[in-house]
Amino acid sequence: MQLTKKTNIAAQLATATCVLLGSAQTHAAPTTSGEWQFDTAILYYGETDRVSLVEGVVSATKDFGDDHIFNGKITYDGLTGASATGAVAQDAVQTFSRPSGKGGYQVAANTTPLDDTFRDSRVQLNANWAQPFSSGIAGGVGVHISKEYDYFSAGLNGNLSFDFNQKNTTLSVGSSFQYDQIDPVGGKPIGLSSMPMRPYSDYDDDDEQSESENSDEFYDSAFTTQYQSREKSADKNTLDVLVGLTQVLNRRTIMQVNYGLSVADGYLNDPYKLLSVVDTTGVTQDIVFEERPDTRTKHNIFWQTKYAMNNGVVDVSYRYMQDDWDIKSHTVESRLRFNVGESGYLQPHFRYYRQGAAEFYRPFLLANEALPEYASADYRLGEMTAYTLGIKYGQKRANGDAWAVRLEYYQQNPQNAGFAEPEALQQQDLYPSIKAMVLQFNYSF
Amino acid sequence: MPVELTIEQKNGHIAGRFFAMASDCEILVDSTDKRIAGQIIESLYTECLRIEKKYSRYRTDNIVYQINHAQSARVDIDTETYQLLNLAKTCYELSEGYFDITSGILGKVWSFDGSDCLADKKDVEELLSLVGFSKLNFDQTSITIPAGMALDFGGIAKEYAVDRCANKALALAPEISVLVNYGGDIAVSRPRLHSAYWQVGVAHPDPQKDTDVLVQIAQGGLATSGDANRFLLKDGVRYSHVLDPKTGQPIIDAPASVTVAGDNCTQAGLLSTMALLQGKNAERFLVEQTVKHWCIRLSHL
Repeated sequence: MQLTKKTNIAAQLATATCVLLGSAQTHAAPTTSGEWQFDTAILYYGETDRVSLVEGVVSATKDFGDDHIFNGKITYDGLTGASATGAVAQDAVQTFSRPSGKGGYQVAANTTPLDDTFRDSRVQLNANWAQPFSSGIAGGVGVHISKEYDYFSAGLNGNLSFDFNQKNTTLSVGSSFQYDQIDPVGGKPIGLSSMPMRPYSDYDDDDEQSESENSDEFYDSAFTTQYQSREKSADKNTLDVLVGLTQVLNRRTIMQVNYGLSVADGYLNDPYKLLSVVDTTGVTQDIVFEERPDTRTKHNIFWQTKYAMNNGVVDVSYRYMQDDWDIKSHTVESRLRFNVGESGYLQPHFRYYRQGAAEFYRPFLLANEALPEYASADYRLGEMTAYTLGIKYGQKRANGDAWAVRLEYYQQNPQNAGFAEPEALQQQDLYPSIKAMVLQFNYSF
Repeated sequence: MPVELTIEQKNGHIAGRFFAMASDCEILVDSTDKRIAGQIIESLYTECLRIEKKYSRYRTDNIVYQINHAQSARVDIDTETYQLLNLAKTCYELSEGYFDITSGILGKVWSFDGSDCLADKKDVEELLSLVGFSKLNFDQTSITIPAGMALDFGGIAKEYAVDRCANKALALAPEISVLVNYGGDIAVSRPRLHSAYWQVGVAHPDPQKDTDVLVQIAQGGLATSGDANRFLLKDGVRYSHVLDPKTGQPIIDAPASVTVAGDNCTQAGLLSTMALLQGKNAERFLVEQTVKHWCIRLSHL
């Protein structure tokens, strides 16, 4: 027999015999390699009067057969807008230097100081490979690299999973290492040192060039020397370890418990964050750069349960995080997925987050007290609650492609962690809320 | 090996053995629970005997006998028979006419006893007019075949029985791995719990060697086609017992044994038979189909 046509007889016989045996393919056999599967997403995140972000993601996955899977992903973020610097509002106009030292800007009275030089774009590349090793054991490795104007990050990760107890129990272990390098605009400021200020000028919000006309040479050279003497870059290393247990409880319920440890070492400051040093009446005397410890160890415990209903899925999770900066946080999250019609689903999403302040968090410093070893007024390290309310609708198309659209509202409410406020600050909103909308569109083909 | 079913406790599993379909049959159950294992083995044994009885061409009380002796009359068939015919049709088409369940009749003039006794050319040509799947006429409820022609499900039925039994085991005990081995045609219902694979002995393709070949199988199906004991040897040419339905002549230079691992036993069996039909190109065919396979060629010269 010499076949004239080269057809995939094995695949056609597999189909024909499955029809004969009247069953779905009960024998998992060596699968042939599949086509590339693409997932694309575009996301808009916008905070009221603050940061807005547009993110595009293209992810490509290919199964090379027998669950040997490659995934490559490229992410682009474009970020614009302003974020709170950490300095407090005053009842008079305030003047700040730009991070670069080239020029400055003024903040109106009774207004939270924002750094509006926030403009960046980030590109990230990820590659992951996953495969089974032997019966019940699978693993994967991945790398990522990302670059933005003042930031570079690269990392490696690996994981292993072991199935046992009739594949009803899976033990997972994973680890990742990440190296980050930051090249702050204007160099790395010394923690808790005063923000360099020009002695007098007509600082202008819009036109940095106008500052170059500034004349006082003595102060001007002293001013620039502070920037020239700064280190240009700083780095940090982060090691993460995760151990997880997934258990099938019954035909409808699956539960997962993870423990994660994260150890960061190196430059952990945000070089653009500031603190106001105020006198006993609350009037700003100085502006200093923040300073954080150079190590941080985080522990977190995560619990998740998914329950399959007849027409959907209930997903509830809780995370507790605690670190040696004394931040403790609780996250409760729930997604309910309801099938709509033959191929669609509707998924409401709720998330509640509560965080205690870091031990060195200070909304401001007092001029009559000694400088602490560490201090930060970064709202992200303060006490806060936050919640997210969202809804997602997804649908599978007749040709096998799928699309989804997600709309979410996010609100973050920072709170006073028990700091007495001098008189002039009592009339200021030291803990302004952040409100944001997220709109995302996904398409998979 | 007994004809009747025997069940015995082995090291970590329970084995049932019997003789059916002209083969030693064994069912291995990955459990030490004798009651459950006994239920599984007896159900599968019953299913095996049912299929043997229904599709054996050596009986006079079954559908195959009715069809083969209908003298061109229409014969009613059930869904199972229709599905087997449909699979046979698919194989006939995919193999461009080489895999043909009507070709068994050619065996009348060939006896593959290892001798040098080739069939008479004229006899073969007469029989060829009674071969050809395309001459059959069937639908979901009935079949009509020309008088003198005969169907032989021998190339499908044993592998089909293996898969039916493995599926039945999965339905009866979704959490227990069961290996079904009917004369070297094997299927596993699901992966084992505590070890990676089943290890079974299958007959060595070389009849001179009485040692079994150990085969390890984790899941899916495995089937062997071969002519280790059934061939003719003349003038240094080895004539396979597999006949070319287009010429009526044995396939020359086929491997003594072809073993294929597949999604299920039926698929593996069909692929191994099709590979034998390729003669000297058997290995190339299997490589092109990207299936896991083992071909053995013997030198008796």
